[in-house]
Amino acid sequence: MNDREQISWLARRAAFGLTAGALDRLAPAGVDSYLDTLVRPAANGVSTSPDPAVGLTFSTDPTMRREEGLALAGRWLDHMVSTPRPLEEAMTWFWHDHFAVSLGQVKSAEPMARYLALLRTNALGNFRELVAKVSIDAAMLVFLDGATSTIGAPNENFGRELLELYTVGIGNYTEPDVRAAATALTGWVVRPREHYATTFVRSRHDPTPQSLFGRTVSDVASVVDAAVRSPACASYIARKLAVWFLGPDHDPSLHAGFAKTFVDNDLEVAPLVRAILRVGLDGRGGELVLAPVPWLIAARKALGVTLDVRVAHRYLAGAGQAPLMPPNVGGWPGPGAWLGSSSTAMRVSLASALVDQLPASSPLLRAASIGDLATLAALLGLPGAFSPATKNALAVFAATKPAGKAGAAVTAVALSSPDLLVA
Amino acid sequence: MLSRRKFLGLAAGSAAGGTAAWAALLRDHVEHRLAIPAPANPTTTALGGAATGGAALNDRVLVIVQMGGGNDGLNTVVPSLGAYHDARPTLALPDAALVPIDALGYALHPSLAPLRTRWNTGQIAAFHGIGFRAQSRSHFKAMDTWWAGTNGAASTTGWLGRWLDATEDDVANPLRSISLGTGAPALSGVRSVPTVVLDPAEFALRLPRGADAAAVTEAFLATSAPASPSRWLAAAQASVPSTLDAITVLRQVATSGDAASDRSTGAESDSSTNLLQSAAGIVELGVGTRVILVGMNGFDTHADQLDRHAALLADLADGITKFFDRLEASGHADRVLLLTTSEFGRRVAENSSGGFDHGLGGAQFVVGPAVHGRRVVGEPALDRLVDGDMPIGIDARSLYAVGLDWLGGPTDELLGGRFDRYGTL
Repeated sequence: MNDREQISWLARRAAFGLTAGALDRLAPAGVDSYLDTLVRPAANGVSTSPDPAVGLTFSTDPTMRREEGLALAGRWLDHMVSTPRPLEEAMTWFWHDHFAVSLGQVKSAEPMARYLALLRTNALGNFRELVAKVSIDAAMLVFLDGATSTIGAPNENFGRELLELYTVGIGNYTEPDVRAAATALTGWVVRPREHYATTFVRSRHDPTPQSLFGRTVSDVASVVDAAVRSPACASYIARKLAVWFLGPDHDPSLHAGFAKTFVDNDLEVAPLVRAILRVGLDGRGGELVLAPVPWLIAARKALGVTLDVRVAHRYLAGAGQAPLMPPNVGGWPGPGAWLGSSSTAMRVSLASALVDQLPASSPLLRAASIGDLATLAALLGLPGAFSPATKNALAVFAATKPAGKAGAAVTAVALSSPDLLVA
Repeated sequence: MLSRRKFLGLAAGSAAGGTAAWAALLRDHVEHRLAIPAPANPTTTALGGAATGGAALNDRVLVIVQMGGGNDGLNTVVPSLGAYHDARPTLALPDAALVPIDALGYALHPSLAPLRTRWNTGQIAAFHGIGFRAQSRSHFKAMDTWWAGTNGAASTTGWLGRWLDATEDDVANPLRSISLGTGAPALSGVRSVPTVVLDPAEFALRLPRGADAAAVTEAFLATSAPASPSRWLAAAQASVPSTLDAITVLRQVATSGDAASDRSTGAESDSSTNLLQSAAGIVELGVGTRVILVGMNGFDTHADQLDRHAALLADLADGITKFFDRLEASGHADRVLLLTTSEFGRRVAENSSGGFDHGLGGAQFVVGPAVHGRRVVGEPALDRLVDGDMPIGIDARSLYAVGLDWLGGPTDELLGGRFDRYGTL
C-alpha cells in the first residue's frame, strides 16, 4: 500500500471513512501522523466535541420511550459522522457491541445516554476502569438484572456475562466462579424514578469473601480486578479487537504479541489498538466485512449528506443492526450476518435514500452520469479501483443513460456494490 | 431454462403477465434449478412412519421454531409433582390455571391452551428433560452445541446445513433453506448458505427516486459476476442474486394470505405468528424450500418471569395454531413437520428477581399431521437434580432424528449414530 492507500485503509476500518477532500488534506503529513492523531487525539490537540445527548430531554412517560430512543440514536449517528475524534467514536461503537446493553430491555433512553457517555469517555482509556464503571452503570444493572440481585438469592446473569463475554471468555471460568462473582456483586440498586440513580445498599449485599481465580473478592473492585488480571482476559480482548480491525482471516500468531502489549501497558486500550492498526498498515490484515452502521456512516461521510433517523433506523433495523438495540447480550453477530439477504437488501435501500439527498451539482452524480468510474471510486472512498464485476456492471449501466436524476441510479448501484461492503 | 433476466423482469411487476403467470414461471424456473433426487436409501423406510406419510419426500418441509434465550421447560409442560411446587414458591403455576393434557398428570402452561385441540388429536408430542449432555449454561456455547448437533464436538456446519449439503442438487436454489427473524448457523453447511430474512415486512428494495426498478436491479445483479478471488468479496457478491430471488418470492408471500392482514392489526412484525405466516406462504408457494427456521427471542427470563413467559408462550401457541390452520385450509399441512428448540431450560429454583437463571434440560414440541403425539416423552427428573438443574434424560439428537427422518435422511449417518425417535413419527 502507498501512503494514500494506507490512510484510506485506516480510515475505513478505524475512523468510519473520510469526508470529501479529507484524503488530500491528510496525505502531506503521512499515515503515521494520521494514526497518532486517531489514537491520541488529546495529545495532538484535537478537542472533544459536546456529548451528542446534550439537549435531549427524557420523560418518565412510557409512551415517549420510542421517540426518545430514536432521538438518542439519531444524535449518535450524526456524532459518528461529525466527530473530530473518529477512532474514539469507533471504539465507543465497539464497546457498545462488547457491553451490548439494549434499550429494548432498559426501556428508557436516559440511562442509555449515560451509558454511551461512559463508553465514550473510557473508549481508549483503561480497560479495568471501564469494566468497573460498566459493572455499576444503571443501564447495565437493569439490563443484566444486577439491580435485583441480593444476598441469599444472587442473580447470576451479570456475573456470568462479566466472565464469559466481557473479560476472560468462554472456557476460562467455572460455574463456582460465576456464583462467586454474582455473590460479591450483590447490593446495587437502580431508582428509575430518580433519573436512574444507582445506589449501593449494604443490607442487600453479601459480604462473605468469595474465591475468584485464586483471589479473594467481595465487591465490584475486587471482582473486576480478579477478572482482568486473569491472563485469559488480555488474550480475549486482544483477539477480539484484532478480529474487529483486521477481519477474521489474519494470522492468529499475532495475538500473543497484542496481548503482551495490552498487559505491558496496564490494560490501556490505546496502545493495544495502535499495535493492531500498525500491523494492518503493514499489510498483515485480512478482508473486513463492514457492519451496517459503519457502512452507513462511511457512506454519509463520502456523500456529505444527512439521513432522517426514522429512515436510518428502519433500514438499519431491517439489516439487523439498529443502534442501541443489539440482538442479545453477546452483541451483533460476525461478518457472515452482514452478507445475508436482509442486510443486502437494506444496503440498497440505504444507498438509494442517501443518493436521493445528493444535490444535482454533486461531483459524484457528475462522475456517475458520464461513467467516470475512477473518479466515482475515489469519491466513494475506495482505496483502489472497483472490482472487474462492479466496473463492468457500472459501465454498462451508465452507458444506458438510466432513467431518473442523472447519475443517481449509477451512484446507488456503486454504493450498494460488494466493493464498498468489504474493506 | 428461464434466464435470470427474464425471471426477474417477469417478477418485477404484474404488468409483465400477472400473478398467475408469474407463479407458474417461477415454479418452472425453480424446478429446473432443483430437481432434487430422492435419497437412494432413505433410512426412514426402515421406520415405516415417515416414508409412508402423506406427502412425497421431496415436497416435505421442516420448520424449526427457535426459542432464543432458553425456554423454561418446567413452566411449559408442567409436571404434577410436589417437588415442582416446593422449588418454585412464587413462580409455580397454580393447578387450576393449567391446561390438562395427559393421564400421567402433565399439563400445559395456560397460554398454550390454543394447542389443546391438536394435542388431543395426536398431532403434538412433547419431549421433557431434553438437551445435549455436553451443553453449557452459557447462551452462546449452548446455542453452538444446539446448532452444530454434535454434542459438543467442534463443527463449522449446522445439523441441517449438513443435511442440505448431503442432498443438494448441483445447481443451488438459494430458497432451499430460509431463516426468518434470526441468523441461521443451524442451516449453514459447507456449500449450503441459507437465505436470511430478518423482517419479511421490510424485505424490499427502495430505489432512487425516478429510477427504473428493473434496470437498477439488473445492474446490481451484474456486480455479482465474475466472482472475485477474494473470499469475503466473493461471498458478498454471492449474496446479491440470492437476495434478489428471495425478495421476488417473499413479495408474493407478503401479498397473499393472512400475513398482510395480521400486520394491519398492529401485531409486531417479528412476532412468531407473523413469521410463521410468512413461512406458511413460502410452503404454499412451492419454490423448493425444504427447511425454514423461525426465530423467537426473549426467553431469557432472569426476571419478571410470570408475565413475560405467558406472553411468549401465547405468541408461540398462536403462531403454531394459525400456521397449521392456514396450511390445512390450503391443503399443504401434510407436507409440514414443526419442531421447537431452545438452547437450555432454566434452573428449577427461582432467583430473587422473580425469574430463573440458566439451567440444563428443557421441553420441546414436535407438531404436525404426521406426528404420533398426545404423549410426553421423557420426564423432568426433579428427584435427580444436577447442580440444581433438571438433568438431561433425552439426547436432543432424538429430536433432530425425527426432523431428519421427516426430510428423508440419511438420518443416522448425519447424526453419527442411532438415536431413539420414541415412536413420535
